[in-house]
Amino acid sequence: MIEIKNVTKKYGNKKAIDNISFTVNDGDIFAFIGHNGAGKTTLIKSIVGIHDFDEGDILIDGISIKDNPVECKKLMAFVPDNPETYEHMKAIDYINFICDMYEVDLETRTKNIKKYAKIFDMEDKLNDTIDSYSHGMKQKIVLISALAHNPKILIMDEPFVGLDPKAVFDIKEILNEMVKEDKIIFYSTHILDVAEKLCTRVAIVKNGKLIKSGSMKEIKGDKSLEKVFMELADK
Amino acid sequence: MTSDMNIFKIKTKTKRLGTLLPVGIALYLMFMIWGMANELFEKLVPTHMQYILLPTSVFLVSIMTIMEGIYKAGPLIFNCKDDQLLFSLPIKKRTILFIRILKFYIFELIFNSMFIIPFMVAYIRWADSINITYLITSITMLFILPIIPIIISSIISMIITSLSSRFKYKNLVQIIISMTFLVGILYISYNTENLLKYLIKHADSLNDLITKIYYPAGVYAELITNFNIKTLLLFIIINICIFIVSIYILSKFYFKVNSRLKKVIISKKININNLVIKKKSKTISLIRKEISTFFKTPVFIINTGFALLLFLVATVMVSLRFDITIELITKTKELGLDKKVITDNLSIFIFLLVSVTSYMTSITSSVISLEGKNINILKSLPINTKTILISKIYSALVLTTPILILGDIILFIKLRPTIIESLLLIILSILIPLVSHLIGIIINLKYPKLDFENSAEVVKQSTSSFVSVILGMVLLMITCTITIKLIGNIESLTFLLIATIMYIVIDIILYIYLINKSVKDFNKLSI
Repeated sequence: MIEIKNVTKKYGNKKAIDNISFTVNDGDIFAFIGHNGAGKTTLIKSIVGIHDFDEGDILIDGISIKDNPVECKKLMAFVPDNPETYEHMKAIDYINFICDMYEVDLETRTKNIKKYAKIFDMEDKLNDTIDSYSHGMKQKIVLISALAHNPKILIMDEPFVGLDPKAVFDIKEILNEMVKEDKIIFYSTHILDVAEKLCTRVAIVKNGKLIKSGSMKEIKGDKSLEKVFMELADK
Repeated sequence: MTSDMNIFKIKTKTKRLGTLLPVGIALYLMFMIWGMANELFEKLVPTHMQYILLPTSVFLVSIMTIMEGIYKAGPLIFNCKDDQLLFSLPIKKRTILFIRILKFYIFELIFNSMFIIPFMVAYIRWADSINITYLITSITMLFILPIIPIIISSIISMIITSLSSRFKYKNLVQIIISMTFLVGILYISYNTENLLKYLIKHADSLNDLITKIYYPAGVYAELITNFNIKTLLLFIIINICIFIVSIYILSKFYFKVNSRLKKVIISKKININNLVIKKKSKTISLIRKEISTFFKTPVFIINTGFALLLFLVATVMVSLRFDITIELITKTKELGLDKKVITDNLSIFIFLLVSVTSYMTSITSSVISLEGKNINILKSLPINTKTILISKIYSALVLTTPILILGDIILFIKLRPTIIESLLLIILSILIPLVSHLIGIIINLKYPKLDFENSAEVVKQSTSSFVSVILGMVLLMITCTITIKLIGNIESLTFLLIATIMYIVIDIILYIYLINKSVKDFNKLSI
């Protein structure tokens, strides 16, 4: 479970996140939506321990990210909006590096690397250096390395950007599979129709404040998520 | 794509204070050079040859700029992060090259000013007569001075990049050619010692000789002694023409060379079942990552590897030409050492050689900055910050220590220190670079530069590398001064024992600082 408790993050006097609280339960696919600069990435980076925050707390399965970041991070995998990797490395070396950091045993990592490389059609490309890859291929490598250690919580910032339609379809399948195992998927997106079909819960942020959160059904009612979002954004 | 809210970042008071330190160090360095310049001018007053020092300093700074520029120009001009954006915009390739060389020029202008301005200011005090034309000439010289060196560096760099871009292992070829160029320049400088001695002896015709060797230095000497507006204008025009014409010519090849650099080599396709999937410990994996980053960044290797290469060359030279080395040290009157003192304390000279190399090899002063946006990868992984920082220190030690110990062994064979002295020297070959590496990473965490266009901006032009180099020089000066004072008054073994204990204490203090304060600095990093 992810518990966001009254989290505030300031840059100088400006509040990038303003007293945000919500909970993501096991088995949720949670969409985090908002306009550009609303504070989505800032909150995501706070959850995964990249950013510090000024007030409140974030609990991962009851453990505070402030007090015990390493234990929290062991439960999570993060896929950033821009596929950040060590581009001079071979893809297989990068994935191995990430697995080493999560102390994944050889059997599990071998099984998962093979499984996800096959799904993302990267089986014969893992021996290349990442700088020879396209944006989408880099994103696939980040996804393979994130999934290779069987994370309990998968946190993604705009995961579908730059991916081909087959890869988007494959991710949706993987996410559905993970949710069946009671894992948590938390991701930010601007692709509202995908979020509407895929997610069980949603939170909408505007100017650093949480303006709505709840189950997808509660939030959108009879309208489309896009319609609801536009109405809230215009307010 | 979402944007982070870093736009709101506001400079804190601590950050503002932090920027004062490098400025303070730069001013202090200028003050030291000014003091040295005054001493030199004073010696020249009786012969009324004070003006000679200014063109000489122009000449020396230009040589320094060319040497530095050879490996700095490549990453500044080629294969930059904003290539895709700039080349897709409706801008002439010539303009893009111009902007990049202009950036190089501005940095060298600041760098050169730190050395030249103190000489120019000191001259005012010692000149026989001074008037407004001196100011006009000197200010003009200050701005014109970097042009020829950066053009020469850019041309050499273009040749190196063009040659290396044809090979599969571009980086390796680039490193080998750059190192060969630098060693070549050093060799030529070494062999022109006699010529320089001749120049000093024949100071009367120095003006003519310098003019022949290096045109801007000659013109400067001429304008100081006999100002002529036509000469000044001609000088400005010639330099501007050199700049424009060079950019025009270089731009003819620029796009082609730059494009060739972007060609990626696709490795042999290997079936996933044949790929090497291995489990390693967190620390070993982090060290491997660090070392692979080092070897994939040519400017990083050349910058830090050059001192190590020189160390190895020096150890071989000392072993082969031992008598000449001793003669050279005894001839250096400032040291005040006779042959007996030197031969009785050979281990201390090995210690000094290791100290020089260690303080001149600041690998860690840019290891944090070079992470760039990838710092977020490390921060999101389940690793302690302490482990990350220590693995960076280990990696630096892995790169430096074997070479230092190899040099030690070469010297041991020739100089034959006792077994205990040899052992202490090997321990010191780990402890001294460790001080340098700890200081480097602490400074880099104080002055990180995570957003950069190319690696040269971090390795050569960042506040962190500047502060580290200056601190290294200060520590080296302190080490040398204390050592020279103690030589002859204390036994070699006692000296090495004290040095070992002292370095253990310094390393422990720096380590405690690293795991307490620097860990916090790392956790605050964000991009």
